[in-house]
Amino acid sequence: MASSDLKSAALLDQMKTHFSTDAGKALIKKIGLVYQINLAPKKMGFNEEIYVVDLKKGEVTKGPYEGGKPDATFSFTDEDFYKIATGKMNPQIAFMRGKMKVKGSLSAAQKFTPDIFPKPSKM
Amino acid sequence: MAMRDLVTGGAACAVPGSSSSSNPLGALANALIGSSSQKERLQEIPTSSLNPSGNNLYPGVVDPMSALPGSELEHPLHQQNKGSEFLNGFHAANDNRLGEVWDGIQNPQVPHFPPGQPQLQPELNGPPQRVLSSFLHSFVNSSHGGVPFGPTQLPVLGLSEGDKRCIRDRSSIMARHIFADRSEDFINGQVNALLSSLEIDNQGMARGPMPGRYPELEQYWGESQAMPPRPHGPDGWADEFSQQRLGQADPNAWALSFERQHGAGGWASEFEHEQRQMTSVDRMAGTNIPSLAAMEQTRMLAHTLAQNNNPKFQNSKFLQFVSKMSRGELTIEDNQVKPASGDWANEFQQQYNAGPSNWADQFAHEQVSTAPDRWADDFANERVHHGPVDEQWVNEFSKLEVNDWADEFGRQVGEGILGDDTADNWASAYDEYVNEQTVLKQKSDSSRGVYVFSDLNPYVGHPEPLKEGQELFRKGLLSEAVLALEAEVLKNPDNAEGWRLLGVAHAENDDDQQAIASMMRAHEADPTNLEVLLALGVSHTNELEQQAALKYLYSWLRNHPVYGKIAPPELSDSLYYADVARTFNEAAQMSPEDADVHIVLGVLYNLSREYDRAIESFQTALKLKPRDYSLWNKLGATQANSVQSADAIYAYQHALDLKPNYVRAWANMGISYANQGMYEDSIRYYVRALAMNPKADNAWQYLRISLSCASREDMMAACDSRNLDVLQKEFPL
Repeated sequence: MASSDLKSAALLDQMKTHFSTDAGKALIKKIGLVYQINLAPKKMGFNEEIYVVDLKKGEVTKGPYEGGKPDATFSFTDEDFYKIATGKMNPQIAFMRGKMKVKGSLSAAQKFTPDIFPKPSKM
Repeated sequence: MAMRDLVTGGAACAVPGSSSSSNPLGALANALIGSSSQKERLQEIPTSSLNPSGNNLYPGVVDPMSALPGSELEHPLHQQNKGSEFLNGFHAANDNRLGEVWDGIQNPQVPHFPPGQPQLQPELNGPPQRVLSSFLHSFVNSSHGGVPFGPTQLPVLGLSEGDKRCIRDRSSIMARHIFADRSEDFINGQVNALLSSLEIDNQGMARGPMPGRYPELEQYWGESQAMPPRPHGPDGWADEFSQQRLGQADPNAWALSFERQHGAGGWASEFEHEQRQMTSVDRMAGTNIPSLAAMEQTRMLAHTLAQNNNPKFQNSKFLQFVSKMSRGELTIEDNQVKPASGDWANEFQQQYNAGPSNWADQFAHEQVSTAPDRWADDFANERVHHGPVDEQWVNEFSKLEVNDWADEFGRQVGEGILGDDTADNWASAYDEYVNEQTVLKQKSDSSRGVYVFSDLNPYVGHPEPLKEGQELFRKGLLSEAVLALEAEVLKNPDNAEGWRLLGVAHAENDDDQQAIASMMRAHEADPTNLEVLLALGVSHTNELEQQAALKYLYSWLRNHPVYGKIAPPELSDSLYYADVARTFNEAAQMSPEDADVHIVLGVLYNLSREYDRAIESFQTALKLKPRDYSLWNKLGATQANSVQSADAIYAYQHALDLKPNYVRAWANMGISYANQGMYEDSIRYYVRALAMNPKADNAWQYLRISLSCASREDMMAACDSRNLDVLQKEFPL
């Protein structure tokens, strides 16, 4: 099995390859920030898997960010991150409901929108 | 206009006490069934036999490159049956020369129509039902001839407004299916001709907001306006609040930055909505609380908030939060109705009693991370989205998701944000409450996977709904097939085949939740059906639910008459991907000519995100089953997910050549264009998919994202109100 059972891990895998495309490179140019994403399988803060989406270098890596401080750090449950990345839930609403926690810069967090993630196609 | 009415037909459709054949839409459907359609070339029903390959109904493969979406219209697929004279007429429709088509429609002689063709306009006399039925029949027939449909003088039919609306909505959806390979203009011409004959106004009815849809809210507002002042005056509250806020550097800065960006004025219109909502919230709450004091407290708070004109206050996060809550978060998630209002009001009262300063503190401490400029959009969008139905708001309120509230609250209490003694007072009360809610929530999670039936179904009472459903499915009328099959499974809840086909229809219609729900029922009825097991594996893979998918794929192998024996039973308890994959590879080596085993292997590799292998497997399977449109789509989706979007589009095109009504493939096309950053293109494909199935929620969400990426905020309102007329006009394919 792939290294993680999380739904989001599949999305982030796709993100990884997405950076090799023109659209992915445009993203790096447009955003140029480093996000750390803490994903909890069920309950926020527990058994988190940490991913770094580096929109400066165009990388997705597992584990905490090692290049200093990420521009913004988000915490979600797996399901909620999936909902946000696929446009089912709005990040603002997620935040308001306490389904998304944010640390770091406000302006960096604002650029975290569903359109930075490639959408999964369905068989 | 509720969206589902578009598909299910409005209440007015059901003629009381009559079977489907005597109501107009039943008649239209019957007309569809009764007529031999050129659409039958499209596909066979995916069979439940093990080796359905070899049913090659279609001679000659269409060169995929010659038929890009939209361009296939220039290559009519059925030329062999038609005279060239007719083709000239047909091209008129395809070259977007609407004028010409329209002339043709207006001229009852239909100039391009060669003599000798069967007369398509039937005799129009007899009782109204009959007239309507044969009239609709002739409309359907016009699709087979590709002849523009001429408006006809009809006797007075006495249709009610509801009938008309129902006919209009459903005929436009069905027309999209029937004429899937024609141009938009042609479809619109046809529908307009139909509707104008029936004296149905295509534009005005039912689309816009109903006049006076907030009469109740207005009334509440009036009442609350008339309320006498309370001990806590509005000003006192606001002062207190702003004092709190001034004490905190952060929120102040936040408010200021918001003002810099927008000015206070931007809020004015939002605020109007909020005022209405606020007052009706407290009204709702009030009706459920015995205690007069509590009622007054909550009303008081809402009233105060609504009255206050201090721009800083209006811009405050606090007000936003309260107003979000007041709208019950407007959740679209579960349609679980929660007995919320009473509880909610009590909570509210407790907090109010605990002192507003706690509240303010709490919010001041919250880290500000949201983009203020998006808020206004959100508000507006949600309004539009939920607006159109009278009393919609009241319904929303009854669905209030208290547990979100409680979660938020419990979390903050847990973090000790409140920090002082007052927190403890209600913390314990909350613990209890949160626990209750957790139980409720678990219940609602487990109820996921319950099939949701359309509430009005013209096929209920049909003598042979399964047969009808199969016919409709074969003809590519997916949404209609869903209704007929629902009628079947309502009649025979243990019919595995009915559930299975229903699931297939939902999957092709790009609705995985419903697809999973129906396949689960099929699985219950027939636990060893391989088609069902594979379909469940695929749907769960699509939803990225890896363990569930793995379980079903492995049962597929276990229950297979040939491969079953190589699958060790002890695996089924604890599944490791590697073991399953190894067993499947053995199976593939056993019979390399079995397309099915390659398909399952391809799905399995999708699950483990080994896309190159998955592509290889699907390609192998396609060599054995080149006519399987769903296989082409699987290949396309896999390529898209491994960022080979250009190849994916080629594969989707193949699928659509074989099945023009394949909503999932249209939506996938949109996804591929969007992932390549070609947002304008992606919009057109999403809109196309949605025109065929307005219930495809995923496509709506993706459409919204693409609109914002393409900087087409001007169309956002149309998207949020799900106004397909506007979207199709703006983004023709």
